[in-house]
Amino acid sequence: MCKCRKSKKSCKCGCKVLKILGKIFAILAAIYAVLFAVFFFDLDGKVIYHVVEPFLCKHYDKMERRNPLDVPYDTTTGVR
Amino acid sequence: MAKFNFKMPEFKKPELKKPLLPKDKDYKKLAHDFWYGKPHGERRLGDLYCDKTGLYKHREWRGVKDTFYYFHMVWLYGYANMVMDINKYGGLPTFLKGVWRYRWLGQTYLTVMHWYDRGFEGLRGEALRACPWHYRGMTNATIYQFMQMLRNDLKTNPDSSKVKARHDKTMAHDETVWGGIFYPFSKELENVPLQMIPYFVTCHVNNHTVLNYIDAIQSIGLPGDPCPMCQAEAGIFVQDDVPDYYKAVITSNEACDGSVATSVIQDWLIDKPLFAMPQPMLFDDPLVQKHCQKEIEDAWKFIEEQTGVPFDWDQLVKKLESQNELQRFEWEKWDVAGKTSYYPINGVSQALYRIYQSQYGDLPIWHFVDKKVSKILNRCVENKINSYPLTRHRVIAWSCAPLYYSNWCTWAYNCWGLNCIINMDSLMFDMTIRTDSYEHTLEDMATYHEWAPMRRMAVGGMHHIFELWENMERFNCDMVMMYDQLQCKGMQGVHGLFEDEFRKRNIHAIWMPHALPDKRTVSRAEIRRIINDYMTTVMHEEPLDPSLLDFDDSMGW
Amino acid sequence: MRDLKHLIYFENLLQEANNDLVKQAKSEGKLALGYTCYFMPEVLLDLPGCFSVRLRAPRCTSPDMATYYMSGRTCHYGRSLMERALEGGFNFLDAQLATETCTVTCRFQEHLRQKHLDSVDDMQIIQNDHFQCEFTDVPFKKNENSIQHYQEQLQAHVLDFLHNNYGVDTSDDAILKSIEAHNEVCRLINEIGDYRKLDNPTITGYEFAVITLVSMACPKYLIIDKLRETAEELKTREPDSKPQYRCKVVLTGSENDDPDFTKLIESCGALVVCDRYCYGAAEARIPIEIREGESPLRAIARHYLLTSQCTRFMEQAEMRSRKQRIADLAKEYHADGIIVASNKFCEYWSYERVIDTIVLHRDFGYPVCSIEKEYINSASGQLRTRFQAFVESVEIKKLQEGK
Repeated sequence: MCKCRKSKKSCKCGCKVLKILGKIFAILAAIYAVLFAVFFFDLDGKVIYHVVEPFLCKHYDKMERRNPLDVPYDTTTGVR
Repeated sequence: MAKFNFKMPEFKKPELKKPLLPKDKDYKKLAHDFWYGKPHGERRLGDLYCDKTGLYKHREWRGVKDTFYYFHMVWLYGYANMVMDINKYGGLPTFLKGVWRYRWLGQTYLTVMHWYDRGFEGLRGEALRACPWHYRGMTNATIYQFMQMLRNDLKTNPDSSKVKARHDKTMAHDETVWGGIFYPFSKELENVPLQMIPYFVTCHVNNHTVLNYIDAIQSIGLPGDPCPMCQAEAGIFVQDDVPDYYKAVITSNEACDGSVATSVIQDWLIDKPLFAMPQPMLFDDPLVQKHCQKEIEDAWKFIEEQTGVPFDWDQLVKKLESQNELQRFEWEKWDVAGKTSYYPINGVSQALYRIYQSQYGDLPIWHFVDKKVSKILNRCVENKINSYPLTRHRVIAWSCAPLYYSNWCTWAYNCWGLNCIINMDSLMFDMTIRTDSYEHTLEDMATYHEWAPMRRMAVGGMHHIFELWENMERFNCDMVMMYDQLQCKGMQGVHGLFEDEFRKRNIHAIWMPHALPDKRTVSRAEIRRIINDYMTTVMHEEPLDPSLLDFDDSMGW
Repeated sequence: MRDLKHLIYFENLLQEANNDLVKQAKSEGKLALGYTCYFMPEVLLDLPGCFSVRLRAPRCTSPDMATYYMSGRTCHYGRSLMERALEGGFNFLDAQLATETCTVTCRFQEHLRQKHLDSVDDMQIIQNDHFQCEFTDVPFKKNENSIQHYQEQLQAHVLDFLHNNYGVDTSDDAILKSIEAHNEVCRLINEIGDYRKLDNPTITGYEFAVITLVSMACPKYLIIDKLRETAEELKTREPDSKPQYRCKVVLTGSENDDPDFTKLIESCGALVVCDRYCYGAAEARIPIEIREGESPLRAIARHYLLTSQCTRFMEQAEMRSRKQRIADLAKEYHADGIIVASNKFCEYWSYERVIDTIVLHRDFGYPVCSIEKEYINSASGQLRTRFQAFVESVEIKKLQEGK
C-alpha cells in the first residue's frame, strides 16, 4: 500500500501509474479482442475476398500491357 | 383534480415449469467440447464454409488450447512475420509497388493465411504444431524471392543505378533448374527462379491467378492440350507479368517435352542471354553422366561470363553440406512416416515443403523450420503420439498432384480417414552430395539434377514410374491416390499399364483426374465426388464427417 | 503432267509397314530394324545385313486398343503405332532402335520393350523371338559436348547392340559402305526434289512425299533402281502448260507420314514445294559428309545433330535459327506461303507453331496457315476449308503485290 494511502492523503503517484497501465491494458485487451474477432470470424479473408481482390483485379485487367506480338525476335544472332 | 389515468403494464408471469437452461443438453459434453474441441466425427467442418467462396463463417474451434495456439502461433505469428520479412528483404514501399504492378503478387499473396487454413483443417495437437512450421518456411522463402525480384526490378525502378547494379548480379532460371547450381556464386550473386513465385506457388495459394496466364498464352495461338504448367510458365511472359530482375537466364529440359517447348516462347519474350542446361533422359546409363557434368560446368562458365562473379569452391562445399543436413532430416522424417503411426506432418505439408525446399535449394529458414519440426517429431515418437488416430487407410500419392487442390489430403483425412503418408514428388532428389573432391561433387550434382521432381520417376524407362510398389511397402501404404494429370503426355502414356497392374495386384487405387493448375477442367468438387464414390461403392465405408461430402467451393481460393 | 511410271507401285508399298519389299528383304535373311525418329540415324540401320524401316501406321484412324494403354490425350501418331503393333503389324521387326526424344513415341517403344521387371509385366507385343528394343539417349544441344555424347550413345546402343545381339558388322568399313549407299539415295531424292524449285515444278508435293516415304519405309537396296528410273523420267517430264496450282507453299511442322495430307493441300490449289517436317526430306536427305580426320561414326553423329531442325533443341541460337531456316527454305523454293502443321497433342510443335505463325509472317512477310491435325487427315473437311481460304488469301496478296 502506498504511503499516500497509509496517511489517508490523496494518492497521486502510484495510482496514476496504475491508471495508465490499466488504460494500456484495456487498449491492448481491446486490440486483442478485435484481432481475435477478425481471426475467428475470418474477417481478414472476407475483406480480401470481397473487397481487396476485386479491386486489384479490376486494376490489373485495365493495366496497359506490352503487346507480345510486338516483341522483336532476332533469328540471326547467337547468345545475346 | 384530474384523475391520473395510468395502467400498469401487464407482465407475463415466467413459466417456472420450463427451465431456463434446457435439461436435455449435455452441458458436461458441451464444456468438454469447448475446452478440448469436438472429436473428429462430430466436427461438421463442412458447415463452416460460406457457399461458393470457401471462406469460413468462422474459423474452426479446436478447443481452447489449440484454437489459441492457432491464433497466436499460426495466424498472428504468420502475419507478423510476413510483415517483418517484407521489411527485412526490401521494405514496404517496394512491396506495395510490386502489388500494384504484378497480378500474381496482389491477387495471390495477400490471401496466404487462408492457404494455411485450408491445409490445417481439422488438425489438433502435435500435428497443428508441426505442419505450420513447414508453411512458415515456404512463406518466408516466397517473400524472400519476390522481394529479391522486386528490389532488383528495372520495370518498377527504371532509373535507379543501385537497382541496375543488383539486377546485373542476379540470375534467373527455370523453376525446374535446381537452385544448387548457383551455390558456388551465392556469396555475391542472387538467383531467383522465374516461375516459382509468379506461377507455381500461386496455384496453391489462390488458384484464380494462374487462369489469367493460361488464357494469355492461348490467346496468341497455343492449343489447350499442352501441360498447363508449361502454358502458364509462358503465359506470365505473354502478360509481361515478370519483373526484370536478372541479367541472364538458365533453362532446363526438366521435367518434360512441354518444359523444353515452352522455352521457345519464353526466350522470345525475355530476349536476354540464355543458357540451356538440359539433363539426359536415360539417366541410369553410366555413359550419360560425363555429358551431364559438362553441361553443369558450362552453366557455371556462363554465369561467370554474364555476371563477372567467380566460381567459389569453398562456398559450394559449404552450401552443399548445409543442404545435406536438410536431406538427412528428410530421411528421418520418412523413417518415422513409413514405420510408425507417429508422423505428425500431414500430406499437404509434406508434399509442398519437400518440393519447395529441395527444388529451390538451401536457405536458413529451412534449417530453422527443421529444428522446430525435429523437436515435435521426437516428442511424438517418444510419447507415441498418433496425430491421425482415425486413419483408416495409409495412402501413397503417385504422379503429379493437382496444384489447385494440394490440400485434398486434408479434406480426405477429415472426411474419410485417408491419411496421405507420402507422395511421389517427395521422393525426388533422394540423395546427399559428396564434397570430398571436385569430381565426386560434380558427379553427384549431375545425378541430383537427373533425380529432379517428376523426371526421377517419369522418364528414363518404365522401371522408374513403377517404383510405386516398393514405395508402398516402404511406407506401409494400403491405398494409392493415382494422380491423373490429363495433359501430362508422359503419364497418360502409361495409364493402361497402371490399370492392369492395380487389377493384377488387387490394389485399391483411386484415379484422381486433374489439370495441374487449371481448376476449370476438373473442379475440386469433382475430385471429391470421385473419392466419395470410390469410398462408398468400392470400400463400402461411411464418411467420418458427412458434412464434408458435398459442398460448393467453386469460387474459392 | 504425264504420270510417273512407278507412282502406283510406290503408293501400294506405303499401304503396309510389312510391304512386299520388306518381306523380300526378310526372306533374304536381312534384319528389319525399326525406328521412329530422325535422331536414330537410318544410315546405321542400313548396315550390311540390315535394313531400316521408319515406322508408320497407314490408314489407322481409330486406335482403340492403344487408347486404353495410352489414353485418348496423347499424340495420335504414337497411339497409331501402338495400335498397329498390337494388331501384329510390326511382328516382322527384328529390333526397334528407340530414342527417348518425344514422350509419346518413347512410351510406345517402352511398351514394345521386354523389360523383365517385377514391377510391370511385359506385353509381348512383337511376336518375334529375336525382337529387342534398345534405347539411345539424344542430347538437346548441338555443341561439342553433345556431339561427343551422341557419338558414344550411338556406339553403345546402336553399333554394339547390333553387333553383340545380331552379329552385325559394325566396322568402319561397313559404316562407310552404308554411308555411301545412303548418300546415293540422298542424291537421287535431292535430284528429284530440285524440280520443285523450278518456276513451274515438274513434280507435285504429293508425288515427292510418296517417293521420300518409300525411301524410308522400304529397304533402300530394293527401291533404289526405281528411284533412279524416276529421276531419269523426271528429266524429260514436261510441266502442265497451265499450272494446276495457285500458289506454292512450304509445309513445315511435326510428324507427318501421310502423303494424303499433302494431297489434300494440293487439292485446294497450293503446291507443296518443300517438306520441312519429321519424315520430310529437307533434312533427312542431306548427304553425309565425312570431314578430314573424322571417323565415320563421328561424322554421322555430327551430321544428324547439326542438320536436325527438331524443336527439341534448346540452345538460344538454335531455337531462333529454326525460323530463319524455314524462311530460307521458302526463299530457296520460291514459296508464296508457309503451312505450319502440328499434330494434336504434340507438345513441342504446339509451342513452335505459335511462334512460327507470328514470326514468319511478321518478320519475313510470308502468309502463314497454322493448323492442328490428326495423324490421318484425308477426310477432313475443316482442313480443306482452311487451306482453300489460305490459298485465296495468298492469291490476293500476290495480286496486290503485282505478282
